[in-house]
Amino acid sequence: MVRILLACSAGMSTSLLVSKMKEAAESKGMEAEIWAVAQDKAFVDMERADVLLIGPQMRFMKRKYEEKAKDYGIPVDSIDPVSYGRVDGKSVLEKAMDLIKK
Amino acid sequence: MNKFMQVLENVLLPVADKLNNNRYLTALRDGFMVALPLIIFGSIFVVLANLPFLDKLIGKDAYATYQSALGPASAATLTIMGLFVIIGIGSKLTEHYGGESLYGGVAALAAFLILTPQTFEGVNGVIPTSSLGAQGMFVGILTAFTAAELYRFFTQRGWTLKMPNGVPDAVARSFSALIPITLTLSTFLIVRIIFEYLPYGSVQSFVYDVVQAPLTSLGSGLPATIVAVLLIQVFWFFGLHGQIIVNSVFDPIWYALANENLQAFQAGEELPHIVSKQFIDSFIVGMGGSGMTLAVILGIFIIGKSRQMKELGKIGAPAGLFNVNEPIIFGLPIIMNPLAFIPWLLAPVIVAVFTYFVMATGIVPPPTGVIVPWTTPTILNGALATNSWQGGVLQAVNIFIVFTIWWPFLRLMDKQYYELERRGEGSTDVNKSA
Repeated sequence: MVRILLACSAGMSTSLLVSKMKEAAESKGMEAEIWAVAQDKAFVDMERADVLLIGPQMRFMKRKYEEKAKDYGIPVDSIDPVSYGRVDGKSVLEKAMDLIKK
Repeated sequence: MNKFMQVLENVLLPVADKLNNNRYLTALRDGFMVALPLIIFGSIFVVLANLPFLDKLIGKDAYATYQSALGPASAATLTIMGLFVIIGIGSKLTEHYGGESLYGGVAALAAFLILTPQTFEGVNGVIPTSSLGAQGMFVGILTAFTAAELYRFFTQRGWTLKMPNGVPDAVARSFSALIPITLTLSTFLIVRIIFEYLPYGSVQSFVYDVVQAPLTSLGSGLPATIVAVLLIQVFWFFGLHGQIIVNSVFDPIWYALANENLQAFQAGEELPHIVSKQFIDSFIVGMGGSGMTLAVILGIFIIGKSRQMKELGKIGAPAGLFNVNEPIIFGLPIIMNPLAFIPWLLAPVIVAVFTYFVMATGIVPPPTGVIVPWTTPTILNGALATNSWQGGVLQAVNIFIVFTIWWPFLRLMDKQYYELERRGEGSTDVNKSA
């Protein structure tokens, strides 16, 4: 079971991506919990996530997230803008899995 | 071009990082977030209490009864929104320092009330609600910052009462807050007493005249608005959330302007300002999201021949209706795309100027100060924000303006994609081809 947390300003646009990622996970037969939150809530929700992915428009907050993420030992990265724009659930899911494995 | 963009990105990213990580700006933004549900609640009831034509439908007397029945909803929230913002800022800043956030919040509130005049037209023991809303906003913000800082300072000094072991935790905590709060509030009392001997008479009127009035009159003008709108667009062009960054500086001004409009609206007077929170939220952002991309989606459906455009339209349209437009911004893509640069920057500025003058001439009333949630669809949000059908029509005209500005550029983009697809290269990242 992997737990993937997504964050953007209000958790709106990332939630579009969440549904696509869930589809991608399902088709692979993966068990995954994927959810999106607003930027502040991410600091709280990080505790129960395996990885945090942030929308590319919030990448200026990456440093702040990384500091907090150290406490939980989880990786943080911003989502590639092209995959974000295409709402490409499959490639973002792969990226998340790569980050967790590292 | 690419090198130029690289340089700009290197400048913008640290600026965005600084603004977003500044503890005062963050506390300010989060403080407003605390007040937001209450502000929206109050706004809904202002809309309900002022439904157009209702007075003609049910008669003047019944309408007055109806209005006074709904009145307390907004009086208890919108009118005194400064109080909630102050508690929000005080507690969020204290939380940032790892202190007891609730005490930071109430200390800020008490500090503000100490500075507030407690007489009204000669009656003692009365606090005028006007100083708890828009007019007191800046004193409130400055007070909340100072109170939270002082509270932290005194707490960190260790000037607290230590309770022996065995005393319940809640009791120990309230005692540990006692001395820091006493010292913090005493400081504000001294400030108040000093100001009573100064020509201004009170901190409230001093800050209002010296800080708030000049700032809001600057912020309500067209030049500052154009600068703000341009900055939002430039940040977004580099794929950074322009609203969050720019609003952290402009929100106090825009909210104060909105609240002054609201007070006038409720009193049935002429609205004093054109630019306010809703001018930006409903007429610049609230038409598909930042950059008013609903018009771009429309363009994609009308022009789009390439597969990439058609796909994007399908993904972007449903979200765009509710003013979420990251799929379009990152998918077209608009960011870092030389072809999108001109319409992206130009359209919102032209719409801002156009909207300003249409409202200045009175053809469309300015926003009343009612807060409409930013996910409210276009046309509806314009009508609600201005309490008039004209607001909705103006948005339709604005969409047409944006559409016209984008038209030639969208056609070029679509042609590029179409050619690439025809040559069998599939959808290609324009950043590479540009």
